[in-house]
Amino acid sequence: MTAFKKSFNIKKRDFVRAGEASINVQNILKSLNMDHKLIRRIAICGYESEMNVVMHGGDGILTVEINTGKIILDIEDNGDGIENIELAMQKGYSTATEEHREMGFGAGMGLPNMKANSDILSVESEKGKGTQVHMEFNVSAD
Amino acid sequence: MQVSTDSMHSSHYVIFNADICTGCTNCIKACPTKAIRLYNDNPTCLTDNCIRCGECLRVCPTGAISTTTYELEALQKDKVSITLVSPVLYSQFKGVMPNDILLAVKKIGFHHVMDLSYYIEMFLYAAEEYIIENRITGRSPWPLISPACPVVIRLIAYQFPKLLPHLIPIMRPVSLLAKETRANISREYKIKKDAVILYHLTPCPAKMVPSKSSFAPENSLVDRTMGIKDVYAQISGQLKHMKKNGIEALREESETQKISGNCLLWGISGGEIAGINSDKTLAVSGLRETIAYLEKIELGLFKDIEYIEFRTCPEGCVGGALNAVDKYIAKNTVLKMLRKFGLERLIPREKVILLYENGWGLSDTTQDELQRIFGVYKEHISIEQLKDIEKIMQQIQGKDCAACGAPDCRTFAEDVVMGKAVLNDCIMLRKREIDKISEYK
Repeated sequence: MTAFKKSFNIKKRDFVRAGEASINVQNILKSLNMDHKLIRRIAICGYESEMNVVMHGGDGILTVEINTGKIILDIEDNGDGIENIELAMQKGYSTATEEHREMGFGAGMGLPNMKANSDILSVESEKGKGTQVHMEFNVSAD
Repeated sequence: MQVSTDSMHSSHYVIFNADICTGCTNCIKACPTKAIRLYNDNPTCLTDNCIRCGECLRVCPTGAISTTTYELEALQKDKVSITLVSPVLYSQFKGVMPNDILLAVKKIGFHHVMDLSYYIEMFLYAAEEYIIENRITGRSPWPLISPACPVVIRLIAYQFPKLLPHLIPIMRPVSLLAKETRANISREYKIKKDAVILYHLTPCPAKMVPSKSSFAPENSLVDRTMGIKDVYAQISGQLKHMKKNGIEALREESETQKISGNCLLWGISGGEIAGINSDKTLAVSGLRETIAYLEKIELGLFKDIEYIEFRTCPEGCVGGALNAVDKYIAKNTVLKMLRKFGLERLIPREKVILLYENGWGLSDTTQDELQRIFGVYKEHISIEQLKDIEKIMQQIQGKDCAACGAPDCRTFAEDVVMGKAVLNDCIMLRKREIDKISEYK
């Protein structure tokens, strides 16, 4: 069986509409009667990565792939890129600007939160060229 | 598909008058749960999906949609009839004192008329106490959500079931009042509890259903509900009569009810949190806004907020679909009246806290029950069906025109996949076929 796949655009600096892609993904998962806790984890990861794109990433695409046993989120952008991924994975490390902080973002919890809520997380990035985030979530059989 | 056996879902909430309906699809598009379809030019409500928000009543340009209402003639037959008055009623008569309005309501044919002031204050105390407790125990997740708006409860149970633990388990003021009043009156008149007929005079479209089909077991504490607009003319007639004859409630009635400013304010958005002793609160009104906020809470936002008051009607209950007066005029009336009444509470805290600690006022409807009543009625689809839906969407390339009778292309595609509609109903597809044929010629 092939998987269901759908992509959503994320726009640079669009704080008002940030989160829409995650809400869409969430609604699709809800219609499939997935486990609430799993949906919540995916929604949190989706939202965090969407915020990262909006804040640092430039324009990006969020793609959800739904398989029977696994759900995959891929987020790609053409923005700033991450200079030191290891550092970015640390709790509280943030490169948010003053403006971001004034809006209540930039606590440095984005990637750590995504790591905590996904089963597999991989981040590839090159400074100045963009970032690719890949996350997997296992769906239990029941 | 699960078939509802519960009587709660079998009765119809909205009634469509096919003779007046022009088939404009306004209601179909406005429905937040996509519960209305046009079948053969006849609007039909899929009752299992209806959360009774009244949005369809609001947007209908011809008045073809109505709710079940109660005829006043039936009043004469009741042994003891009591009406519980929503504070929003006071906002409908500019410059008239609440006690005079209560007297006018009584004069149209009730044995007793009850105001909600005390119970609203009790609710506020109980909610405050729950917030303080929750800071220590963390029993419920932040933000806590007010249980006051019945549509919000339906909406959460139906569309956001994982947010159910956010609802504070305190009974709504009108339920508290109904419970107490029924007990008191049956004792006073020495009659059985079910011989006491409780009416609720309300602007709320969600409550306009025969009691048994109300949103939660606790709501069946009220027997019958009446829309304010349905008795507005009688009440203003009585008020005119009273004015002409110099009758004033404060002089006439031996026991006038004390009205609290908190009660007046309850009807406008923000009125509930204005009385609550916490800074981390929000008041959100309107259906779209409420849904947008619930979606964000699901994403894990607003954890720094302690209490959110949601009202699905615009501007709060003054925007209720069953009001007689425009919401902004009603809001002004409330705010001006408030200058006289102030926000000081009538009952001392100690009195309520004692009751609260004994479990009085806590709702006996569990989250599981709420979800059982509403949560299961949504049909679920498989990954394969999801793909089919997407395929149909690609094929249609539509504009959400609703000419097929479904609110949007996505819902239409779902209906087709679920076998409730046929692809040929889509006029976009048909148009393209016609274009193709004419190209060949």
